[in-house]
Amino acid sequence: MKVLVIEDEQLLSESIYKYLKQEHFICDAATDYATALEKIELFDYDCILLDINLPGGSGLDLLKQLKENKKMDGVLIISARNSLEDRITGLQLGADDYLPKPFHLSELVARITAIIRRRHSAGNNLLQFNELIIDILAKTVFVNNHLLDLTRKEYQLLLYFAYNKGRVISKNAIAEHLWGDEMEGASNYDFIYTHVKNLRKKLIAAGCSDYIQSIYGMGYKFTG
Amino acid sequence: MKLIAKYNRVNIIATIAVMLSASICYFFMLRYVLIRQLDNTLKVEEAEILNYVKRNNRLPEATHYRDQQIRFDPAEGPVKRKFNNIELVDGHEHETNPYRELVFPISVGNQFYKASVTKTEEEMEDLVMLIVLITMGLIILLLLILFITNRLLLRKIWKPFYDTLDSIKAFNLSNKKYEGSPTDTEEFRELDNVVQTMTSQIIKDYDTLKNFADNASHEMQTPLAILNSKLDLLIQEPGLTETHSRQLQSMYDAITRLTKLNQSLLLLTKIGNNQFKEVEMLSLDSLIKQKILQMEDLISTKQLQLTDQLQPVSLKMNEYLTDTLLNNLLGNAIRHNVENGSIHISLDNQKLLIRNTGPALSFDPSVIFDRFKKSSRSEGSGLGLAIVKQICDNYQYTISYFFKDNLHHFEILF
Repeated sequence: MKVLVIEDEQLLSESIYKYLKQEHFICDAATDYATALEKIELFDYDCILLDINLPGGSGLDLLKQLKENKKMDGVLIISARNSLEDRITGLQLGADDYLPKPFHLSELVARITAIIRRRHSAGNNLLQFNELIIDILAKTVFVNNHLLDLTRKEYQLLLYFAYNKGRVISKNAIAEHLWGDEMEGASNYDFIYTHVKNLRKKLIAAGCSDYIQSIYGMGYKFTG
Repeated sequence: MKLIAKYNRVNIIATIAVMLSASICYFFMLRYVLIRQLDNTLKVEEAEILNYVKRNNRLPEATHYRDQQIRFDPAEGPVKRKFNNIELVDGHEHETNPYRELVFPISVGNQFYKASVTKTEEEMEDLVMLIVLITMGLIILLLLILFITNRLLLRKIWKPFYDTLDSIKAFNLSNKKYEGSPTDTEEFRELDNVVQTMTSQIIKDYDTLKNFADNASHEMQTPLAILNSKLDLLIQEPGLTETHSRQLQSMYDAITRLTKLNQSLLLLTKIGNNQFKEVEMLSLDSLIKQKILQMEDLISTKQLQLTDQLQPVSLKMNEYLTDTLLNNLLGNAIRHNVENGSIHISLDNQKLLIRNTGPALSFDPSVIFDRFKKSSRSEGSGLGLAIVKQICDNYQYTISYFFKDNLHHFEILF
């Protein structure tokens, strides 16, 4: 899957590039408006990561250009401006999602994957890891063809793991993904441990291998 | 005290004092003049009598009218000519009246007489009285007119000043407008100009400051994103030891805190800038129920008992701000709670009351809504309640905190 990273901040762009490459994405990068415009017009991408503030122009103009050219690329806006108006403008212009900075790379991958899956979903809405099958459309999980009874949070957790297969996900990233703003109230991540523990218990009880590894209490890794 | 009142007080006291002393002088002068006139009449009478005696060599008849009496008394010794003020009893009315008397010597042949011509002062007194009364009336009238014209005049003259004052009162940083009040009085025009310059400077400074806070917060997002992404990459490295992991975790936590702090600062600025103008009717009770559901995990981790008494309440508010408000209040009630503690939420048309168990504050409760005020135990940003306060201020709700019956109380009056 081809992804174009349009981000003027070199260091961030590098990180994203490196992380995505590890996830077997084919990556391309542009750090200014002109380069980005050129690449958008020359190639087709499955997903474009778009920063709004770019040297030489606005990411929103690129988005307009993209839609005028009737390109089908998925667009994920990554912006330092976490304002409702920017979000609405971006989505109205045809972006698929909006991720404010700073973000976790695992979150970014989850969002990109979701966008690409939505766009190419035609018939394929299943994620399979041996005996474990996740139906993204129906939001159900099967182990050895038996339906698993998961809570909403447990399902979200499993899907997040699945999207970031083979990567270590920090607890902070998980907390932000599952609880977002409500994290105001949390002073520790005990409840993440509880949810992961429950999820693992249910998976193992259904006869699934233990795919979820704890990494020194710092995070988790789904080995699938 | 108002300027007009102050001015009038000085003015009236001075006027009354001057008028009073002038009236007293006036009274005595008038009296003196009238008595001189009376004396002249008496002198004429004297001359007539002397003339009569000279011509006829005998005394004229003593007369005894009410207003003028002439008497002759034989005198043993020499008589000195002089004017007297005397009181005489009137035969009929048995009351004393003031009279002016001229006593002078007169000789008929060898016989000496003391002649006295007396004239009543009654008419003169009446005249003086009348004149004084008229004068007093005039003074009062004058004072009254003076008072009223002063008032009207002062009000008119000072009007630009009060206009400027009203404009200053009406000035606030959110609508950023100072309505000048044009006038042709130089002093007030100058005042108005100075105020205008000052307010525009204030607005400029405020904007600069606001933009600075806004830009600084935004500029911080990118380095934070870089830090986050580098850590995300770092934890993928094989061969990380547990010690590494623990240090990485601390870095993650610090970045998360910094991120939250930054977002809170931005939010405060935005609320201050009135950037959440869209309002809609929100059912507060269902939003609270929803929020409780969302926070279930946090509540159950601490094994808190949550009870609520929610009456249906609809308020016109911004959805995002309302969410933030509930998030921060409920989040606080959970975070600053104890294991197996309790939270009570009650809502009616007048107020929202959240009570929770938890250790007592380690600082003065009166500053609880100040920015960065928090207990040393807290890992929060110290901005949560400042945001809550700002939101309440935005909607003119009153929020208060008190500690009663071992419970923290947060009360919002709509």
